[in-house]
Amino acid sequence: MTRLIRRPEFGAFAAFVLTYAFFAVVTSGAGFVSVNGTAGWLNLAAELGIVAIPVGMLMISGEFDLSIGSTVGAASMVVALGTSFFGLPIWPAIALALVLGALIGLVNGLAVVKTNLPSFIITLATNFVVLGATMGFSRLIANVTSSSIVQSESARAVFAARWGQANVSILWWLGFALVCGWLLGKTTFGNWIYATGGNLTAARGAGVPVERVKVILFVLTGFAAAFVGVLQGVQWNSGNSTYGMGYVFQAPIVAVIGGVLLGGGYGSVVGIVLGTAIFGVISTGIFYTGWSTDWVNLFLGVLLAAAVLANNYVRRMALAAR
Amino acid sequence: MSGLNQRSGRLVRAVSGVALAVAVAFAAAPVSAADDGPIIAVSGPLSWPFFAAVKQGFDDAAKQFGVDYQYVAVTDTANMTSDYPRLLQQAISRNPRMLLVGEFFPDGMDPLIKEATAAGIPVLIHNSGQTLWEQNGSIGFIGEDPYQMGYKAGEIQAAKGVRKGLCFNQVPGNPTVEARCTGYVDAMKKAGLETVYQTIGTGDATNPQAMLQAIKGTLQSTPDIDGIYTLNAVPAISALRAVEEVGRKGEVVIGTADLSNEVLEAIKAGDIAFAMDQQPYLQGFLSIQTAKQFLDYGLHPIGHVKTGPLVIDSSNVERTLEVNKQFSGVRGAS
Repeated sequence: MTRLIRRPEFGAFAAFVLTYAFFAVVTSGAGFVSVNGTAGWLNLAAELGIVAIPVGMLMISGEFDLSIGSTVGAASMVVALGTSFFGLPIWPAIALALVLGALIGLVNGLAVVKTNLPSFIITLATNFVVLGATMGFSRLIANVTSSSIVQSESARAVFAARWGQANVSILWWLGFALVCGWLLGKTTFGNWIYATGGNLTAARGAGVPVERVKVILFVLTGFAAAFVGVLQGVQWNSGNSTYGMGYVFQAPIVAVIGGVLLGGGYGSVVGIVLGTAIFGVISTGIFYTGWSTDWVNLFLGVLLAAAVLANNYVRRMALAAR
Repeated sequence: MSGLNQRSGRLVRAVSGVALAVAVAFAAAPVSAADDGPIIAVSGPLSWPFFAAVKQGFDDAAKQFGVDYQYVAVTDTANMTSDYPRLLQQAISRNPRMLLVGEFFPDGMDPLIKEATAAGIPVLIHNSGQTLWEQNGSIGFIGEDPYQMGYKAGEIQAAKGVRKGLCFNQVPGNPTVEARCTGYVDAMKKAGLETVYQTIGTGDATNPQAMLQAIKGTLQSTPDIDGIYTLNAVPAISALRAVEEVGRKGEVVIGTADLSNEVLEAIKAGDIAFAMDQQPYLQGFLSIQTAKQFLDYGLHPIGHVKTGPLVIDSSNVERTLEVNKQFSGVRGAS
């Protein structure tokens, strides 16, 4: 029991239970806790969650990636223009989009380790560059900034299949969580991530290839962002350069809600997943209450702050109890 | 208008004070219209499909009437509230023969337009500024009235038997877009019907999944809603999915402002009742045409030339889709 309580994600778990219970009570009768209501907030959380996991791991290693927003949109536009304008079959277009995402990550990673500038600034710049390039090229090529996607059955099965109202994105989220959780928690590479973010100089001294760790995490993040772009594009039948702009700050926010330290060196994948779930419950649950939505940003802010405080409080209690 | 205000609208109030101060400081230089100066169009960013269609109209008319003109717009949309008055100031200081202005940010731009018209530069407003042109000395306005657009949507939904209508605004704080909701609500109220007004968190304006879940939640908590009006093509598709997910497809009348291929296909399939088109291409084309006739003959239309709303429903959707396929971008939808 004490071992369970002392795990870094226990605070996030407690915050999730409190948040969920709160909405279960105040929305009673509106179907928030029903199967379809649950599928609703899970669908929302899954798309954010897929990109939030690598973003959180990057934060544990001491870096930020703010370019995810425009990478999501760029990937969706690559699939859209590839299929509808250049007449590519959808799978090569998807492969191209994923490679582009990984490349954006690679550029971010190399720029960060070569220049030693804060990744906050470098990836903010990349975010604008990628958004601008997506819009510019889309206009140049097809005179549009959003475009339809020519579908195939197989692509829909992989990225947009549904059981009832639950999207396949929930399974992908789980898949990303399992792989990344294993990577961070069970492998040498995972230890390197913690070491890099915890104390860079000491890690380097101990022989950790800190630069390689960071570059790999940036590539993983870019890939995951492109994956979400493909997923949204196929699901909504259209690419749009502005998809994902909300994730730029939502992804680091849910990582922090889930217990990742802004300064790096601490956090877990289970925590990030719980943080994303909390965000999904709050931002969906608000609308099941029937409260006036003029206040929606206020509710969102207050509840997020409450969730972080609860997480922090529980974690301190747990650590003090040892 | 579509586009401009939607993304930056919530900045308008905060920054407009600064923009005004900058504009007044710049506006001191004396100006006069020159016969050989250029015709300058100060309009919206081309990265948005809507303004791509406006520019297409400008270009086609310029070619047709043998007119030279220059299109001026921001490329970085982060600081539009202060960038647009600056762009307008630069255009005025070049002694243009005529100015064609989208008055997106009146607090900063209106004093400059007054300076220009006082100095004898003819100004024609397009897209935004429908309540201002008569006071600032412009010769006219070509564009939509967002309130009337929303009002028309409300009338159509009332006529289709909607009892309780939801206006979903994905960009709260933008006066132009909110006017559409106000018009919708007024038309519904006049017919003795109920309305619900809904907004979402500011990070989610471009996330279709978040909008889907928000509308689904509202349909669950207020199950007697039987009409939805959205202010953009992306939330229209989210609304359609939300209605399907609560198992009420066919029972909720969905209408939207603005177009996309997705929306047009849904209208064709009978899932969305109508879309309101403000015909951006015409805003550009008619601006150049009017400029040509005004400069050559001193002629111009009197009053507000309306380019919207054109209601697109099952009766004319096929033709719109054809045009969209044949002339990519002209309808401002993709």
